[in-house]
Amino acid sequence: MLRTFLARTSSPRTDHPLVGDGDAGVSDGAGAPARRLRRLAGAAVPLALVVAFAGCGSSDSGGGTSNAAQATPSKPTQGGTIEYGHLQEPPCLINTWVQTGYLSRQFLDGLVSVDAKGKFYPWLADSWKISPDGKTYTFKLKQGVKFTDGTPFDADAVKTNFKAWLDRDAWTYNSYVDFHVGKVIDSVEATDPATVTIKLKEPHDLLSVLSQYAFGILSPKTLKGTQANGCERPVGTGGFTVEKWNHGKDVVLKRNPNYASAPGNAKHQGPAYVDGIDWKFLKDDTQRYGSLTSGESDAIYEVPGANWSAAKKQYEILQHITGGVPVRLALETKNGPFTDVRVRQAFGYASDRRKAVETIFRGAAPYNGNGALSAGSPEHLESLEHAYDYDPNKAAALLDQAGWTQKNQDGIRVKDGKPLQIKIVYSPGNNVTNDDVQVLQIIQDQAKQVGFDVVLKPVTQAGLFSGQDHAAGQWDAEPWYWVARTAEILHVIWAPQKVLGVPNGNNVGQFDDPETWKLISTADKTTDVAARTKLYQQAQERIVAKDALVLGLRPLTVTLAVNTKKLRDVWLSPAIGEPVFSDAYLVKK
Amino acid sequence: MSTANPSFDEAPGRSRGHRLSVARAYLRSVPIGVQLATVVLIVFLIAAIAPGLLQTHDAYRTDLLSGLKAPSGSHLFGTDQSGRDVFSRVVAGTRQSLQIGLGATGVALVIGLLLGVAAGLGGRWTDGTVSRFIDVLFSFPTLFLALLLVSIFGAGITTTIVAVGVGTSPGYARMVRGQFITVRRAGYVEAARAVGHTRSRIVRQHIFPNAIRPLVAIFTLGVGQSIAFASGLAYLGLGVAPPSPEWGALLDAGRQYVTEAWWLELMPGAAIVLFALSVTVVGRHVQERLEGNVKVEDA
Amino acid sequence: MSTTVDALAAVGTATPDRRRRLVGRAGRRLLGAVGVLWAAATVTFLLQALMPGDRARLIINQTAGTMTSPTAEQRAAVNATYHLDDSLFSQYLHYIGGLAHGDLGTSYFQHQEVTKIIGDQIGATIVLTLVSLVLAWAIALTVTVLAAGRDNVFSRLASGFQIVSAAVPQYWVGTILLVVFSIQLGIFPVESGSGISGLVLPAITLALPVAGFLGQVSQDEFTRLLDQPFVTSSRTRGASDLGVRIRHVLRHAALPGVTLSGWALGFLFSGAVIVETVFARPGIGGVLVGAATSRDIPLVTGIVIVSAAVYVVANLLVDVAYTIIDPRLKDA
Repeated sequence: MLRTFLARTSSPRTDHPLVGDGDAGVSDGAGAPARRLRRLAGAAVPLALVVAFAGCGSSDSGGGTSNAAQATPSKPTQGGTIEYGHLQEPPCLINTWVQTGYLSRQFLDGLVSVDAKGKFYPWLADSWKISPDGKTYTFKLKQGVKFTDGTPFDADAVKTNFKAWLDRDAWTYNSYVDFHVGKVIDSVEATDPATVTIKLKEPHDLLSVLSQYAFGILSPKTLKGTQANGCERPVGTGGFTVEKWNHGKDVVLKRNPNYASAPGNAKHQGPAYVDGIDWKFLKDDTQRYGSLTSGESDAIYEVPGANWSAAKKQYEILQHITGGVPVRLALETKNGPFTDVRVRQAFGYASDRRKAVETIFRGAAPYNGNGALSAGSPEHLESLEHAYDYDPNKAAALLDQAGWTQKNQDGIRVKDGKPLQIKIVYSPGNNVTNDDVQVLQIIQDQAKQVGFDVVLKPVTQAGLFSGQDHAAGQWDAEPWYWVARTAEILHVIWAPQKVLGVPNGNNVGQFDDPETWKLISTADKTTDVAARTKLYQQAQERIVAKDALVLGLRPLTVTLAVNTKKLRDVWLSPAIGEPVFSDAYLVKK
Repeated sequence: MSTANPSFDEAPGRSRGHRLSVARAYLRSVPIGVQLATVVLIVFLIAAIAPGLLQTHDAYRTDLLSGLKAPSGSHLFGTDQSGRDVFSRVVAGTRQSLQIGLGATGVALVIGLLLGVAAGLGGRWTDGTVSRFIDVLFSFPTLFLALLLVSIFGAGITTTIVAVGVGTSPGYARMVRGQFITVRRAGYVEAARAVGHTRSRIVRQHIFPNAIRPLVAIFTLGVGQSIAFASGLAYLGLGVAPPSPEWGALLDAGRQYVTEAWWLELMPGAAIVLFALSVTVVGRHVQERLEGNVKVEDA
Repeated sequence: MSTTVDALAAVGTATPDRRRRLVGRAGRRLLGAVGVLWAAATVTFLLQALMPGDRARLIINQTAGTMTSPTAEQRAAVNATYHLDDSLFSQYLHYIGGLAHGDLGTSYFQHQEVTKIIGDQIGATIVLTLVSLVLAWAIALTVTVLAAGRDNVFSRLASGFQIVSAAVPQYWVGTILLVVFSIQLGIFPVESGSGISGLVLPAITLALPVAGFLGQVSQDEFTRLLDQPFVTSSRTRGASDLGVRIRHVLRHAALPGVTLSGWALGFLFSGAVIVETVFARPGIGGVLVGAATSRDIPLVTGIVIVSAAVYVVANLLVDVAYTIIDPRLKDA
């Protein structure tokens, strides 16, 4: 659920209109657009990147698979170091932010793994049994596995992890785990060294949760040690170990020579092929992509917008549409104009968000009109993609009904002497990227034509998390996203205060609807997949169509560009899109 | 030294025709480069005061069907990602950019002059105290000061002006102080003292003009630099809130397209450079003329 | 002008009475330096501590990366760890007490000792800053000597360069250099790393605006000095034009620029923030931005104190330079 903290330099992946669609250019027309680009570039900016349209990878926006047409099968080689250019550097190597999860996936293993179809595979757990009432999960653990500090991996270690994750006062507290299953777990017991029994208070889709990065099992020694040590040198059972973290530069990961716990859906079992990974933090877009073209990196995360079309032709593109809550505007329903559902709906109709996302992202990230759930989650309700399609007349009519009939000299609607002002508070690089800000500006401009005065209020990360501009009356909408695999995210967002005991911070708009909550909480404990999906979809229907609590923009995507001349067989985990390097190998010249 | 001074020493009270010819003579005495720069500055001033006179489009109006269009007859400077007209945005951004450039430099100069003069002319204790204060200001990296101010007051044009101004002020302060101390010790000041000029007269007639002179050039350079600095704030996400077309913000937004939609980067960049260049050229001309006057007085 | 350097330089040769006075002056200057550090630390502490917002909630939320609603117990735990419940004055005393022992505290978000974080990063930034300063002076002086007081194509290009380099944002210059020389031509590595070849582009990027500024200042002074009697007299004694320019004029013309070097150092330190990002260099700049935007008070304050210390040292060096260049100041 937790948001990634994206660098604000992350950018739109934009196909230049003059260059044409990438895929079309591969076989026949490649020369023409390329020539046009060259002419354009040569005429004006001699330094323009003249791309060689050599390879022909293409993207697949499905569940984390890639189709590397050019990756002619070759035998994996041993050795070498993968140079990987990532974007954001985390403050600590163990925390629940998804950007950290991409990294910690390299040295931590989970209990179970999942494929794109939702089928579960053994990982640290060899097998499992679910009781008929869906409340008891019994895991048989892999034998002979050791943490890289020498501690044996056993049932006690698993129990220690759960205890540490759910201890709110300890540094090891893991809010991802707590939000997802904190309320539902009754007990975690080590029945014998090879068996873990997890008892639930009510049935829950536990396997799906366990497949995600935040459930990576840490060495009990790490958990019992200091936070400083845990942040710097965390230890797991994974394919790699943390050798050194050069802050501001990279994390050096070394191969775990005794790796014996690859997931069942991995491309091979046993230790990684490569000696290690140089996990570099290349925050600047131009530099990150340049490092790929110059050969200093074998693969990079987040292809910059300007280079998207070139990258698609030259490199293998791996893309995962992350499930959970997409990037969407949560609307403030307790104060201000949005207390009236008609105004919320009018705001939805007032702008062409689909076209805005398509224009700015150019297909690199699709539009996600269903603001309740990402298209990457299996329970996503497709029909809501067209909720609030652009219709300025409908918006105007709704505003008229709501009493916003007057207009001032700037064309802004007025009611009781108050202008129809909508304040959107966001934090560039934290809950939105540069491109999202572009989309917000388009929304701002289009909504103005209907009579909304949209004010954009950027705040820093500290401002965001300390609640700056977030008191009653200071904001009306806020973009947020939460990563997860399935609709399990809905209870994280919409659980009411009376269930949690404290106000739900994830419910940004603080809208409590008992009916919606009943649908979600019933779905959570329904074991029949079809019935559960139906309930989740009814909840989405209410959140989006009936109450207009959220306005969808786009899902979070994980994108890797891989130079297949040098590196093969990287894959993205279908759980959250975590990159997996333990099956990857370097092409020897 | 300076270019020729216009000759105003002819007998006054001549005909209108004569006055015109004097004006012409003055104009002739101004180098063509300075004249050009003045015209450019006037255009920028018009853009700042009445942008509507120059704009061809609404600077904020998006057009999703014509994003990233190269410069053409209908869009002089092309369009940006959301189809906004870059020329009209550059024009619309003039006012804020000028406010930032002039405002921040002004703030910096005022603080710098107050502190610098106090330190440079004051006694040992005043100098010591003020110098330490300048040191404290200095010891904050400029950008950090900006970061702090933005986190306290929120991003915006006033914050940017104050942040850049305060951040760059200690440099001016030290410079002013150094100048005053140097000039105070100069031979002609000693000479003036020797012939018994009063302290205030010495300061007014000799120290001040000579110490301030280098600042004119600094000021004109500072204007361009302030805009560049504000642009750095935009790069770090601390600039003026969108959809402001302030030049620094435009430059930052266009950066990722530098190889593909060059006009997004080149046009606002050219505006900054052209403006900075014109201000400096005119500033230097003014400085040279000032220098001429001072010399005359010294003689 | 009373500077430590004047004092120190003179101590060796002075009479006992004069020596005592000079030592006293140096002592005062040292006290002043400590005062600057103290004031910088205090101002930073206050500004950060008095900013609106619940710090415990901020720390919990940022660690989680989400908007949690921390319970009273959670907040109490955080408050206890970081002494946030103590009175402001007691927090301040605690902080200054730690400072006196060289303890800068522990980062809220990196969970490491602040001294360790800074120690790991400061070297790279200092190298970059100093190389850039030297480079900036080299460019500025070359241009000044060759172009000042002349009216030819070169002098016009030079002054154009000065204006443009001052007005063009650093991240922009950095990006252009990166695209041309690293990505297109492959002369320098795209990732700056720690080698010398990786230092070239970042140093040029950082040096250019400063070079323009220093050059502008020196050149104006230079042009003015060329008309001074001592220059004319040197010329009549048969010195070559370049000789006069370098031996006599340059030295005085550099004075305002030298004063500005202290400022330049601050500018370079700030500029390092951006240059380190564009070229992905490790360094204190990147840490500072992260720490300031996440309001990591111990880390921010630590960095400010360290940069204040760097500045104090740099200033002493500026004084030395000033005294060497302008001997008049020695007897002041």
